[in-house]
Amino acid sequence: MTLLIGALIIGLILALLALGVLVSFRIFSMPDITTDGSITLGAAIAAVLLVKGVNPLLATMAGALGGAMAGAVTGVLHTKFKINSLLSGILVMTALYSVNLHIMGRSNVPLMQATTLASFGESLGEWLAGGKTIHILGWPVAAADAAVLFLALIFTATAGAAMFAFFRTQIGTAMRATGDNAQMIRALGANVEGNIILGLALSNGFVALAGALLAQYQGFADAQMGIGMVVWGLASVIIGEALTGTRSLGMNIVGAIMGSVLFRLLVAIALRWGLNPNDLKLITALFVFAALVLPGFIERCKRRTTPAT
Amino acid sequence: MLALSGIRKTFHPGTVNEVRALRGVDLSIEPGSFVIVLGMNGSGKSTLLNAVAGSFFVDEGRIELAGHDVTKWPEHKRARLIGRVFQNPFSGTAPTMSIAENFALASRRGQSRGLGWALSPNLMQPLRERIAALKMGLEDRLDNAIGSLSGGQRQALTLLMATWLKPELLLLDEHTAALDPKSADQVIQLSDEVIQRDMLTTLMVTHSMQQAVSLGDRIIMMHRGQVLHDIRGAEKKRLRPEDLLDRFDEVRRRELLDESAAAMLNELYI
Ligand SMILES: Nc1ncnc2c1ncn2[C@@H]1O[C@H](COP(=O)(O)OP(=O)(O)OP(=O)(O)O)[C@@H](O)[C@H]1O
Ligand SMILES: [Mg+2]
Repeated sequence: MTLLIGALIIGLILALLALGVLVSFRIFSMPDITTDGSITLGAAIAAVLLVKGVNPLLATMAGALGGAMAGAVTGVLHTKFKINSLLSGILVMTALYSVNLHIMGRSNVPLMQATTLASFGESLGEWLAGGKTIHILGWPVAAADAAVLFLALIFTATAGAAMFAFFRTQIGTAMRATGDNAQMIRALGANVEGNIILGLALSNGFVALAGALLAQYQGFADAQMGIGMVVWGLASVIIGEALTGTRSLGMNIVGAIMGSVLFRLLVAIALRWGLNPNDLKLITALFVFAALVLPGFIERCKRRTTPAT
Repeated sequence: MLALSGIRKTFHPGTVNEVRALRGVDLSIEPGSFVIVLGMNGSGKSTLLNAVAGSFFVDEGRIELAGHDVTKWPEHKRARLIGRVFQNPFSGTAPTMSIAENFALASRRGQSRGLGWALSPNLMQPLRERIAALKMGLEDRLDNAIGSLSGGQRQALTLLMATWLKPELLLLDEHTAALDPKSADQVIQLSDEVIQRDMLTTLMVTHSMQQAVSLGDRIIMMHRGQVLHDIRGAEKKRLRPEDLLDRFDEVRRRELLDESAAAMLNELYI
């Protein structure tokens, strides 16, 4: 049970990462590897501030802001300096590795004593339950875990709803149109470069928010924690699309959240059954590869099996 | 309204691919004038429209539009003054977004975009009416992705979007060339209606002699990046398709003459 709740919480936190990747990958059709650096950046900023005793909510927001700035830098490299979008992301990700080490001062910052959103949630849960355990559907559950799960759910749902609302505003629709048809939205007077910069800032802000929350939940920030995260986000987005079966914005957002939670659960089960944790990234990459290639492959097979008319 | 003076544009200057697409264009267009732009392939018609719209900056010359010197304005800033319909029906609309959302974007052409809802009720009412007036049955499909429509429908909607806010200048670049004849006629008729109703200053590129004689009040013929003929007033009204074909033949003869002269010079001196 504890294992299940843990997987759900991490799934919900990483859903914010998936939402960020949804923006860069689906709305702007730009696989943005800045993600790998900005999730760590969010964690690093939040962790360092928390150790200093800053309010956890403020520290979390500062982490998200840092990510947004990193995303904006990628956007500027791409639009103003005309560097290929993938390379812009790689440059910023690489630079962020050093930046993150500087912020943390070492490669790992533990958060054992600090007050974090997670520790706040845990004590809130125990205070509300008036004890260490509560019963959900007859199962004994640590009140602390239940409260953190509940908080994560609210946090992610709010973030998802906010994103949905944003993309229905005037500026939000213009940003979607930028990814859909830049020529058209430019002819309608929108600043395409500005929209891309803003979009990548938004994307990486969400990613860094996930990083800040993840650090608080697992109790440390680590310089290596971002490796392969963009692929993880892609996997969640793709699973979400398979689950909801549509490309509408609202369903995409719901799908990315569900996809992230489901993927984390599957991974937790696989690890429980003895999957070597070292193979995790390989399997995630293979999974995304299959998800990208299979639909086209199946389509071709179908066409081959249906007789030509 | 629109005044071009000494416009020059060379693509890839100093390379083997150098193209002198505009070689000194001077043109002045009065408010409310509907100008047809003719010319052979590669004569610089699209480049002229792109230069006005700001798709690139010109090398030399000055562009004045509605009292502003827009020569150095970026494209998205000029969009405040200009409505555009492209040749490719895919170019003018955002395919995965709904019809209503596309119009929401068009309804703020050149204005600031904030955090207000894109689909406001004051947009939906007139939108439904004006789309119903197209008689294409699209008024009940405002939530459908615009990419699911036919080229003709998309081009008609793009025209409506470009003129939703009255533009100071409307640019149409062979906007019916990619359509089947029936849709093309529909879109041409719609264009003429909108242009007459709102008295829009318009530049329209076409290859159709028929359209050239029946529409507009002025014809300019481009040749090698310059305005070769400028036909207006009573002369434009009298003009028949044959007269235009004669002028094209004359251009073609001159082209041949240029080529044979060049060949002769080559033989003589090289
Ligand atoms: N972006 C560009 N880069 C390089 N060359 C260009 C570019 N745009 C136009 N040209 C060249 O400039 C010349 C004029 O092209 P333009 O598209 O203006 O012709 P056009 O009159 O519109 O012809 P068409 O009737 O075929 O559309 C052509 O030789 C073309 O190859
Ligand atoms: Mg052209």
